[in-house]
Amino acid sequence: MIKITDLEKFYRTEEVETIALNKLSIHVNTGEFVAIMGPSGCGKSTLLNILGMLDDPDGGSYVFNGVEVAHFNERKRADLRKHNIGFVFQSFNLIDELTVFENVELPLIYTGVPSSERVKRVEEVLDKMQIMHRRNHYPQQLSGGQQQRVAIARAVVNKPKLILADEPTGNLDSSNGNDVMELLTDLNEQGTTIIMVTHSEHDARYSHRIIRLLDGQTVMENIMI
Amino acid sequence: MIKNYIKTAFRSLTKNKAYSFLNIFGLSIGIVCAALIFLWVEDEVNYDSVNVKKDRLYLVKENQKYDAYIFTHSSTPGIMGPELKETLPGIANACRTSEGQETFLFSQGDKSVYASGKYADPSIFSMFTLPFTQGNARSAFAQYHSLVVTERAAKKFFGNEPNVIGKTIKVDNKQEYVISGVIRDLPANSSLQFEWLMPFQIHLDNSPWLKSWGNNNTTTYVELKSNASIATVKGQILNYIQRHEPKALSHLFLFSMNDWRLRDDFKDGKMTGGGRIEYVHLFTIIAWIIMLIACINFMNLATARSEKRAREVGVRKVLGAGKNSLIFQFIGEAIFMALVAACVGLILLTLVLPGFNLLVEKQLSLGLGKPYHILVLLGIAIICGLVAGSYPALYLSSFKPVSVLKGIKLKDSSAAYIRKGLVILQFSASIILIISTVIIYQQIQHVKNRELGFNKNNLLEIDLQGQMAKNYTPIREELLRVGDVENAALADHSIIYGGNNTSGMTWEGKAPGSEVLISQRYVTPEFMATSGLSILEGRNLVVRDTGRPIHMIITKSLEKLMGKGSALGKTMHYNGDTTTATIVGVVNDYVYGDMYGKPDPVMFMVAKPEDNTVMYVRIKPQADIQKTLANIQGILKRYNPAFPFQYRFVDDQFNGMFLTEMLASKLSRLFAALAIVISCLGLFGLAAYTAERRTKEIGIRKVLGASVASVTSLLSKDFLQLVILSCLIAFPVAYWRMSLWLKGYRYHIEMQWWVYLVAGALAIIIALITISFQTIKAALANPVRSLRSE
Repeated sequence: MIKITDLEKFYRTEEVETIALNKLSIHVNTGEFVAIMGPSGCGKSTLLNILGMLDDPDGGSYVFNGVEVAHFNERKRADLRKHNIGFVFQSFNLIDELTVFENVELPLIYTGVPSSERVKRVEEVLDKMQIMHRRNHYPQQLSGGQQQRVAIARAVVNKPKLILADEPTGNLDSSNGNDVMELLTDLNEQGTTIIMVTHSEHDARYSHRIIRLLDGQTVMENIMI
Repeated sequence: MIKNYIKTAFRSLTKNKAYSFLNIFGLSIGIVCAALIFLWVEDEVNYDSVNVKKDRLYLVKENQKYDAYIFTHSSTPGIMGPELKETLPGIANACRTSEGQETFLFSQGDKSVYASGKYADPSIFSMFTLPFTQGNARSAFAQYHSLVVTERAAKKFFGNEPNVIGKTIKVDNKQEYVISGVIRDLPANSSLQFEWLMPFQIHLDNSPWLKSWGNNNTTTYVELKSNASIATVKGQILNYIQRHEPKALSHLFLFSMNDWRLRDDFKDGKMTGGGRIEYVHLFTIIAWIIMLIACINFMNLATARSEKRAREVGVRKVLGAGKNSLIFQFIGEAIFMALVAACVGLILLTLVLPGFNLLVEKQLSLGLGKPYHILVLLGIAIICGLVAGSYPALYLSSFKPVSVLKGIKLKDSSAAYIRKGLVILQFSASIILIISTVIIYQQIQHVKNRELGFNKNNLLEIDLQGQMAKNYTPIREELLRVGDVENAALADHSIIYGGNNTSGMTWEGKAPGSEVLISQRYVTPEFMATSGLSILEGRNLVVRDTGRPIHMIITKSLEKLMGKGSALGKTMHYNGDTTTATIVGVVNDYVYGDMYGKPDPVMFMVAKPEDNTVMYVRIKPQADIQKTLANIQGILKRYNPAFPFQYRFVDDQFNGMFLTEMLASKLSRLFAALAIVISCLGLFGLAAYTAERRTKEIGIRKVLGASVASVTSLLSKDFLQLVILSCLIAFPVAYWRMSLWLKGYRYHIEMQWWVYLVAGALAIIIALITISFQTIKAALANPVRSLRSE
């Protein structure tokens, strides 16, 4: 599904140039659950952002579903993103002004799904995430675990082929964290490819494969059995 | 999608109440200002639009060339109108009216009221749009002593009687007139105003001098045929008077009804294109400036609080929103906000419109029944939304999701510069308005305090009616016995306005071909002392000077025109008439007619009391005015019982000559104040966000020992710099604009530098007070709490 080759990314300020990704090559198959680990500043989040087409690389190739996307413009990237990729963030990133239902509905609006179909799909996914009873609440009225469930619901409502999760349990206690990991595992078992950045060895154990990064390069790959 | 945007906008609005209030209130004040100005402009632009033939109606005006200037006026020969229609094929119709308004006493039974109106040809009913509610245009002047009245006048004369056609009413206690028609009241924005109309023929029969081609004392209107060429008619009319008076100085031209109200300024015999239209343009610009100031508030507050919206932008982008859809969302939000502001503005408008009407002396209405009024209001709101939302939309939609979602602090430098630039723009506009307001006020005061050459204060003017002229001597004696009356006199013209004038005078030594316009005034001998004119040379006129030999008093400027040395004993006479008038006295020049101009010379002669039209009564400065008026009323009642006492003060008439300038002064004061208020609303909000943004810095400074005063001044300094920069921009612009304005007046002030300093200081003080609330609050905050907030 994903094949990156010699991917490079630099961050430049007036005086210093920092290499975030240094000729990194990775591939991820459809249906895989991959965890990316490594110390702070190793390039995990940069990689995730490029994979999510939120950022563009400075060099190398990124083939998504057989299409070279490294040099797509913002509009094309947005288009590809909204149909194929779901995001889960550490800090949930729900819109405070929208209710649970409306937050989850948002990706469907951007992909032009008709209103009646939207209601059906949002209800379906909220039900699955067991937060249907909170559908009219605002994010700030929910616990952290509930907020992350909403965020996952939002990430999956469009039935994306790929979910990118950036430390999804980072802001949660262990019990809520486990729930979230169970949810991701379920999604993966249903066929969704998942790439997750995490600091937690415990969470990484849910994945099929762990890619360890250091200074923008792969240092080790562990296959989980 | 749109539903989602509206939901977000509405919830964001209710969540950030203070921010929403500042924005909506600021925008609604802007919209109210603009709406008020546009209502005023609409009324001005639609002046005379009640007339369906507006495009074909013209006033016949004259240019007379004199040595000093070309005199443009609307007085024409009384017999000209019908002949124009007969002889010029392009003219469909012509109408003559008496000049100005005549005030008569109308009596029915024991009820007597004054009403003002005109003598007019019956063609007035077909040329102007004057719909009859009783009677009809055809039979209106079928009878000689017929009278057409407006509905309001009918009510004034006859109360609520439904049908007044055929009723008679006595005019000035002399002649019975029959009501032959009632027409709908004229709208306030009509140049033609009257309460009644009488046949012009009566006027013509009573005033034989109207029949001369050499006398100008009638207003003439013409209606062109729809296929007529205006250029051809103008060519034909130019030397029309010369057909009858080959040596006449007057040249006729046509002045379109479309220009009567707004472009009535003439110089050197030509339309300058100026007039009230300049104020229409000026206030339209001010309306847009005030709206821009309000929009700038919106932009500044929106970008200043952009951090709060950044995450939403990031999330929406991650979920697939393109830049365009975000731009659409934020502009939509601004338009939504502006529409809410327009609704609030509508409520405010309803509340303030009566006050504004008093201020501008109009009867403007919101006219929400008119679809285009709603459209204009919507248009204003949408333009405001577009302008206000454009920059924030571009700014917010350009956020990179990676940065904002990671919580990386946004680089604010470009937005901060633009914000600062916009604040400078706001304050520059406000300072320009403050300076303009002060200069307009100073100019009006300057003219009002002009040495007129006579004393306008405590001078009463009363129309000479009924038995007053006949009883002048005993009335005057009794008036003088009232302790508070200093003097009384009669005159044939109001002292403050222009009156009869002639160019037909000549004297020994006058250069051949020289044309000088001289005003001629008939007065009683007490006039000089009563009005306060000083006799500089020779003697005053006396009753003996009435009739022949003619003795006259002239003003100083005429004496100078007559050659070197004293004019006493010199004579002058009309061209072609050998009867001479000897100059027995010289008085000082005085200002009349145009309060900004240099008045034409004047000659005074004595007239019998019955040849005058007004009485002047000089009241002593320390007098109890109400008591004195009651005494005067008592005396006049005795000698002139049929006519109710009616009077006016000359200083009120004087003030009435500055209505346009006074209006400009009042409006500029109002809008300058509002511009400052709106700018301050924005500054207040901006100061709050700056303080919030710098919370951590303030905390650290305080921990390191900074005092409240030093923190306050640190925060205020940035804003003060902006206001000072605004002054630097505003001063030259205001100087340029006000120099242009002052140049339009021959008698004007020189601008003083301190006005600029005061305006700048005022802006700084207002800005300081506005931001002080926020800066002091921030400086007083507990540093421990502010450091924890990061």
